[in-house]
Amino acid sequence: MFGISGNVSVYFMQSVILRARLESAFGERIPSPFTDLDRRVFENVPTGIATLDTLTGGIPRGAITEICGPPSSGRTSAMVSILAEANAQDEVCALVDGNNAFDPISAAAAGIDLTRLLWVRCRKLDEVLKSTDLLLQGGGFGRVVMDLTDLPVSHARSISLASWFRFQRTIEKTPTVLLVMSSESVVKSAAAMVFRTEMHGSEWSTVFNGLNSSIEIVRSRRARSLKSYVRVHLHSECVR
Amino acid sequence: MYACIYIPNASGDSSAALIDCATTFSPRVESTSAGIVVFDAEGLERLFGSYSEIALKVADAARERGLEANIAVAANPDAAICAARGFGGITVLNRGSEKSRLRDLPLTVLAPSQEILETIERWGIRTLGAFARLPAVQISERLGQEGVQLYKLAQGASMRPIVPHADALRFVEIIELDYEIETIEPLTFILSRMLDQLCSRMRSRNRATHEVRLRLGTHMRVLKLPLPVRNPRLLTKLLILDLEAHPPGAAVKRVEVEAIPTKPRVVQNGLFVPLSPEPEKLELTLARLKAVVGEENVGAAEILDTHRPDAFRMEKFHLGERGSLRMGMDSTTTSSCSLSLRLFRPPLEATVQLRNAAPSWIAFHGVHGSIITARGPWRTSGDWWRPNMWDREEWDIEVCDVFYRIYYDVHLDRWYAQGAYD
Repeated sequence: MFGISGNVSVYFMQSVILRARLESAFGERIPSPFTDLDRRVFENVPTGIATLDTLTGGIPRGAITEICGPPSSGRTSAMVSILAEANAQDEVCALVDGNNAFDPISAAAAGIDLTRLLWVRCRKLDEVLKSTDLLLQGGGFGRVVMDLTDLPVSHARSISLASWFRFQRTIEKTPTVLLVMSSESVVKSAAAMVFRTEMHGSEWSTVFNGLNSSIEIVRSRRARSLKSYVRVHLHSECVR
Repeated sequence: MYACIYIPNASGDSSAALIDCATTFSPRVESTSAGIVVFDAEGLERLFGSYSEIALKVADAARERGLEANIAVAANPDAAICAARGFGGITVLNRGSEKSRLRDLPLTVLAPSQEILETIERWGIRTLGAFARLPAVQISERLGQEGVQLYKLAQGASMRPIVPHADALRFVEIIELDYEIETIEPLTFILSRMLDQLCSRMRSRNRATHEVRLRLGTHMRVLKLPLPVRNPRLLTKLLILDLEAHPPGAAVKRVEVEAIPTKPRVVQNGLFVPLSPEPEKLELTLARLKAVVGEENVGAAEILDTHRPDAFRMEKFHLGERGSLRMGMDSTTTSSCSLSLRLFRPPLEATVQLRNAAPSWIAFHGVHGSIITARGPWRTSGDWWRPNMWDREEWDIEVCDVFYRIYYDVHLDRWYAQGAYD
């Protein structure tokens, strides 16, 4: 009896060592070769920002992507670009607006098809959470944006990690992208990808020409490249 | 051959369900009287099998509608009616056997007038067989035309064409309650039952509804749907959500639901159709969202044809033609991106100090400081003939690394922060 269990434990140890060696050999090319395929493979969709798409391959479907940063750092512009890109593919999107701050006029000028964007205007965090839950449960939306940027940071922080994991589980096997906008990162480990935006100067002539922003990839479940940020010029043609 | 569906002690609202039940088998249906429907079963053997099997299927269909019915099949409509009235369950009278099979039934199955029934019973006649053995001429002399008609019925030999039921295609269900209902929760069960019936009837006529009218006493709600629906669960949920948003002002004693019929939706889905919500699910999601944030806060923004800043209205969100507005526009991935504006609704009143006619310092809603850069003014005005005219001078400013759009309201002589570039 002792001999059989001893053999089993030896085989087990050998398989663990072999697995560790294989994972080490595959390195960054195949990050998790032994993970369940359904859980590991994310189909990515473009953001509409060429440099960012080149660097990251886009944002993953069936997962949470977070964009955080201070005001005037280009968070909303990135969100509008992602929604416009989805509309260009004829996908239907939803925006849960935490503080009724969305400007449909500049968004339409930037390429969003307002007839294919469901806009839910909220005033309280509770409404934002309930609305997002309903939209994710309803299904069928290509992108669902949860905009927490204008809510107090303490409110955004008060959302429990369990809620984020619940959202993540809801969309896990669906083609929906949940995009969370916030002043600082709040989704934590439930996010498949986290971008942080930062303003790097403005351009003025006789008019306000736009901003220069950087988008840093703070967290990504995909293989990391050496460069972890991109520079983006945000032109003001659509707001003037 | 004719089939008869008979419900003993039928209530008034079962007639519509009976007709629907019969219509699923034959287009030639006669609504003879309350609780009695006869339909032409000739030629149905090819579809449903023998007449016994047809009768079984009719009984099943009636049971699905909550009706416990007697079914009879005979060579003529009146014999079928007599058999259905006289025998419980399923009865099939073969051609030519009507007289012998009906002979033991009581005279009441003929539904004679009270006067004639009393006369015949005074003669000591109790069954159809005994009545059928009487001489026809004497019956005619003593009982007149009605007696002759009853005599033919008793022999099972009456031949008449059925009078097809002309259907107005109204799908209405009404319930009069013995006790008043004061809360919405019990209504859920009542509406669910009524809508089950309505949808079942619509399904049997290959119809769906795009409008449901609910009358709770004097309180009336109209539920308009962007697509034809005949899913009772969905309709119940939508009606209940609507009632929660617009509750009836008084206790409810009468519930009436009417579904306006239309052709059902036929959709051919494709493998490469872009992602969009299922229309039925979307309606439910929208109704639930409206219950959470209010009806005016859910929808699609429609920009108004005016130069007035932030001029839009919320329209009902529905899935229109795919790509109708973006025809010819491809995905445009660029290295630059459009700057977006986040608006303060309503605009925040600001205190602004000027230097050389340009803003140099600002304070509003927790933000204050020197203005590093300012460009403007951009003057815009309109609707001067209306009370809600606007006349403003807009500036783009930079304060503490944040870029704002502010404006001076010429009419009110005040400064406002309109939004932040982001």
